[in-house]
Amino acid sequence: MRFVHTADWQLGMTRRFLGAGRVGQAVGEAQARFAQARLDAVAALGRVAADEGAAFVVVCGDVFESNLVGPDVVGRACEALRSFTVPVLLLPGNHDPADASLVMRRADFTRRCPPHVTVLDTPGVHEVAPGIEVVAAPWATKRPLSDLVGDRLRALEPAPEGVVRVLAGHGAVDVLSPDEQNPAVIRTAECRAALADGRVHYVALGDRHSTWQLHGEPRIAYSGAPEVTSHEETDPGNVLVVDVGADGAASVRPVRVGRWTFAREHAVVDTDDDLAALDARLDALDAPERTALRLAVEGTVTLRQRARLDEVTEAHAPVFAALEVDTTAVATRPDDADVEALGLTGFAAEAARELADAARDAADPAALDALALLHRLAVAR
Amino acid sequence: MRLLRIRLRDFRGVHDREVHLAESGVTVLEGENEVGKTSTVVALDLLIDFRDDSRAAPVRAAAPSGRDAGPEVEAEFVTGPYRVVYRKRWLRRRLTELTVTGPATEQLTGREAHDRLLAILDETMDRDLWLALRVEQHTPLGQADLGGHDALTRALDRAAGGGGAEAVGPAADAAAEGLVERALAEVRRYHGGHGRPVGPLREAAERERVARAEAEAAAAAVSEVERDVDLRADLDREAASLAEERRTQNARVHELEDRWSALQARQQEVATSAERAEAARERAARATERQDARTSLVAVTAAAEGAAEDAGRILAGLEAGDRARREDLAERRAEADRAQAASDAATAAARTAADALAAARDRTELADLRGRLRRAGTAEEARREAARAVAGPCADAAAVDRLETLDRAVVQAEAELAAGAATVEVTGLADHTPLTVDGADREIADGETTTLPVADAVTIDVPGAVRLTVRPGLDGEGARRRVADARAARDAACAALEVPDVAAARAALRTAGEAAARSRELAAVVERELAGRSFDDVRTAVTALAERMPAEAAPEPTTRRRGARRAVPDEPGLFEEAGLLDDPSADPEPEDLEPLRLEAVRSLDLADEAHRLARTAEDAWRRLDASVTTAGAEVVAARTAQAVARSEADRRVAELRAARAEHADEALTAAATEALARARRFEADHEQRAAALEADDPTTVEALYATAKRAVEALTRRTADVERRRAEVTGRLQVAGGEGRHDRLAAARTELAAAEREHASVSRRAAAAVRLHETLARRRDEVRRAYVAPFRREVERLARIVFGPSLALEVDPALRIVSRTLNGVTVPFDALSTGAKEQLGLCARLAVAALVDAEDGVPVLIDDALGHSDPGRLERLAAVFGAAAAGSSHQVVVLTCTPARYRGIGATRTVTLNPSYPPPQAVPDGNDDHADAENDDGPADTPSEEFRAG
Repeated sequence: MRFVHTADWQLGMTRRFLGAGRVGQAVGEAQARFAQARLDAVAALGRVAADEGAAFVVVCGDVFESNLVGPDVVGRACEALRSFTVPVLLLPGNHDPADASLVMRRADFTRRCPPHVTVLDTPGVHEVAPGIEVVAAPWATKRPLSDLVGDRLRALEPAPEGVVRVLAGHGAVDVLSPDEQNPAVIRTAECRAALADGRVHYVALGDRHSTWQLHGEPRIAYSGAPEVTSHEETDPGNVLVVDVGADGAASVRPVRVGRWTFAREHAVVDTDDDLAALDARLDALDAPERTALRLAVEGTVTLRQRARLDEVTEAHAPVFAALEVDTTAVATRPDDADVEALGLTGFAAEAARELADAARDAADPAALDALALLHRLAVAR
Repeated sequence: MRLLRIRLRDFRGVHDREVHLAESGVTVLEGENEVGKTSTVVALDLLIDFRDDSRAAPVRAAAPSGRDAGPEVEAEFVTGPYRVVYRKRWLRRRLTELTVTGPATEQLTGREAHDRLLAILDETMDRDLWLALRVEQHTPLGQADLGGHDALTRALDRAAGGGGAEAVGPAADAAAEGLVERALAEVRRYHGGHGRPVGPLREAAERERVARAEAEAAAAAVSEVERDVDLRADLDREAASLAEERRTQNARVHELEDRWSALQARQQEVATSAERAEAARERAARATERQDARTSLVAVTAAAEGAAEDAGRILAGLEAGDRARREDLAERRAEADRAQAASDAATAAARTAADALAAARDRTELADLRGRLRRAGTAEEARREAARAVAGPCADAAAVDRLETLDRAVVQAEAELAAGAATVEVTGLADHTPLTVDGADREIADGETTTLPVADAVTIDVPGAVRLTVRPGLDGEGARRRVADARAARDAACAALEVPDVAAARAALRTAGEAAARSRELAAVVERELAGRSFDDVRTAVTALAERMPAEAAPEPTTRRRGARRAVPDEPGLFEEAGLLDDPSADPEPEDLEPLRLEAVRSLDLADEAHRLARTAEDAWRRLDASVTTAGAEVVAARTAQAVARSEADRRVAELRAARAEHADEALTAAATEALARARRFEADHEQRAAALEADDPTTVEALYATAKRAVEALTRRTADVERRRAEVTGRLQVAGGEGRHDRLAAARTELAAAEREHASVSRRAAAAVRLHETLARRRDEVRRAYVAPFRREVERLARIVFGPSLALEVDPALRIVSRTLNGVTVPFDALSTGAKEQLGLCARLAVAALVDAEDGVPVLIDDALGHSDPGRLERLAAVFGAAAAGSSHQVVVLTCTPARYRGIGATRTVTLNPSYPPPQAVPDGNDDHADAENDDGPADTPSEEFRAG
């Protein structure tokens, strides 16, 4: 039996660094493209399921970013689901718990929801097809007080002969989040035990946005988000195609569906050559329009080099979906040439020297700004 | 720059005029209005600023009116190392010529000449200072804008002893000044007055504020939903627990209800038995009541009988008493009548006695009055008689006196006669010899001689003897006549008085006086007797009394006793000798009234006593009569009461008889006893049942039942309440779900982050602008402060000449005078008088001129200023010009239409400008050729007004 394991669609999520959709500005465009990319990823995984001949798709929590997403997000999600050709099971996670505000019980969802979609909002065993059972461990509140997966597993008897049973759960596992204080952490030992005695044959988990399998037990896995959501993620953008054999053995194969990249880059800039190299590096990056780059720059530069650095980054910014430049580690040290280049005379020259002296002290950033402004004004003359 | 010479041709109203200026010191150009003083200044500006092909308004304005000629200006001046002659003509036959004579000779024309000249000026002259040191006509002579001028800066730097300016170069600070302004403009982009954020800074702050508010609102909206979700979960739990509780409570209610129903049935029985007992009690009470009624009826009947008999007895007693009293009353009545009769008799006796007393009094009074009347009548008659005596002729004392006088006259006359007449002496021869002389008998003793005058015939008789008549002879006739006359007169008088002689008259007179006295006395007697009344009144009284007397006339009082007559003490003694007037014996003896009075009093007392007795008796009778009447009423009342009592007794007897006919007394007693016993039985039954019920404590069971029911109701209500709240929360959640609150929050947070970034960035730019401007301005002020000191020293040196040694000035880094301190009083420059401003402005300009190098210097141009200065100040200002010139070689040009203003300034040169009109027939200038326009005519041909002054 083959099915597709996915999770953490986080539909309705926005990213701050993609800019605010303010009236009269184009910065909302990246945000809109990112939102569409997330829906495209969903559609893509639907196609993967169809192509792979999967029996169903199980989404292990966090289908929506929040229970309070707007009707437009819900409507588009339903449209994306409509393209699926296999049954889809949606599990409420910590972002969209099955409390009173559950989005998947809302009228705007139920009205548009295609019939092959099942919401696993009640804990327990759901039969997807004869011989195929999914055990749902949905979040009923945002703060569960117990290991929901463990609770479900303990309530199970070993699966009858010929029945493949998949557990759908959501939350952090103890090996990844060894938090003694969190009562809801999923205990992998119990999962292993359940797999061992045949109560379930696969533990499909959501919550972690990077693909991850328990070491030595591939049947306990996080599929990761189908499209990247954060710079912190190590391996996002995949879905897992899982084959469960009649003997209970399972093989897990990740398939990439995401197209966006949230990247971090680090650059050292001390000389004009470094600046040129950085420029070239930024030029060389693939698909910048689907890349949100966090660039950390460090080094010591003169005032002119600093102006050049700003020029370079500003020149690339429009190409990227987002370009965040962290220059806190850049020390700007104006030299005499900076001052002389202004061609100032009289007391203005003295003032420029004073500012330059002050700007060499990192504690006085305003002096540097003032000096830069003086540059601009002197040149504008 | 120093101006040496200016020549104007066909410039405005000037046809052709050349003015030479003193190379240093003051040149005064004086002339009347419109003679072209200001044109000279304007011409200089045109020469430098406008190319010859310019058709700008100032150029066109310079064209002479009414003539077809281009205005032309030529100036010769020294600037820096250059000595220059520069000529320009505009509009017609345009030309520009520049001749540089030193240090190297240059000759340029046209555009090249113009550009070269500007280059020379830029190199050598501070043109801003040139304009700043100029004082235009009609513009107030105020502060010159002196900051930032190259030449001045250099000069001040030098004066300050600074060497830094050398390295910077002259134009450096001026360029930097522009930077300050741009920095300030940059600051102004972000900050308005008082550091108030404006423009992008304000917008960014506003955007952040709005974004923050929106983010907070969106977060609140999301938390609201979260709270509702929690609330909904709580409500679900509560509803479940309530349902459980209701089930428990319902079971308890059913159990208690069963117990309570059983107890209620028994309570019903107890109530029934209570009713039964109550009914029996009532019946017993009724039987007892009937028995009591019979007993009381018997007692009442007996009482009524007794009362009737008592009333009969009382009536009999009353009637007996009444009869006895009536008899007694008749007796008393007779007694009273008798006493009344006795009283009447005594009263009559008393009246009689009183009448007798009154009659006796009347009689006495009548007798008295009669006596008085009689005495008065006698006295009256006597008085009338005396009055008559008084009325005789001799009563006149005067007449008697006259008579006596006449008599004395007679005597005198006789004496005279006798003296003169013979005498007869008669001598007695025997004792007692009688003789008559003239009829008068006389006696004469023996030896006695009497001499008798013979005035008339004297007859002497010796009785029985002889008559001897002696007659006077004739010789005494006259005397005798007089005697006769006197005697006649006397006798007449006597006759008149009806007296025989004088003696008689005298006697009569005396008698009359006595009679008058008597008459008065008698009148008094009458008066006394009649007590002031008239006779008629007394008589009338007497008559009245007499009439009142009983007709039997005054009976002699029986008790009259002579001895009782009393003397009358007030009888006047005067009349005792004249007893005829009062004869008391003539009066009847007055009656003695005392016994009568005593009798009257006694009888009156008797009458009073009798009357009192009669009254007592009558009172007694009347009292008895009243008591008899009262007793009579009592008898009547008693009779009525007796009748009523009798009737009542009869009625009761009848009633009792009827009642006994219905139920005998014994039957009633038996019935009552039986009913009482029955009632006791029923009561005992009821008490037994009630005690049994009480033992099962129905009150507690009922209370428990009610409490349980209330608890169920409360639970129902709470359930309903929870359901209602659950519905509310669910409704809210449904609404909130469709609002996309998460999307709103996400958008708001994104916007807030962007706004914060923008705000921080703009704030940084604003801070940079502030910092830059602050640094630049501080540096500039430091430089300027170095200039200020020498400038201020120079201005103060000059201004002290005008204002006195106590003057001090404050000068700001822009070289503006901030305030003036004079005699310790500091006044801001703007608050100074126009005159003082003008004077300080002039001092500042002259100070600049004095400070600036001769090479760098520009002329100070003053076009008719100092109109606001008084003559005293003008004199001092003149000294200022001198002081400014001392030790310096700068050039000052003063244009004035009132030369007196500047007389004292010690001008190096004074030029009087006269009108320069074109010649009557203007000969067209043959030298049309542009190339030939060189000024080869030379100054010799030019009309020149030039005076050298000491």
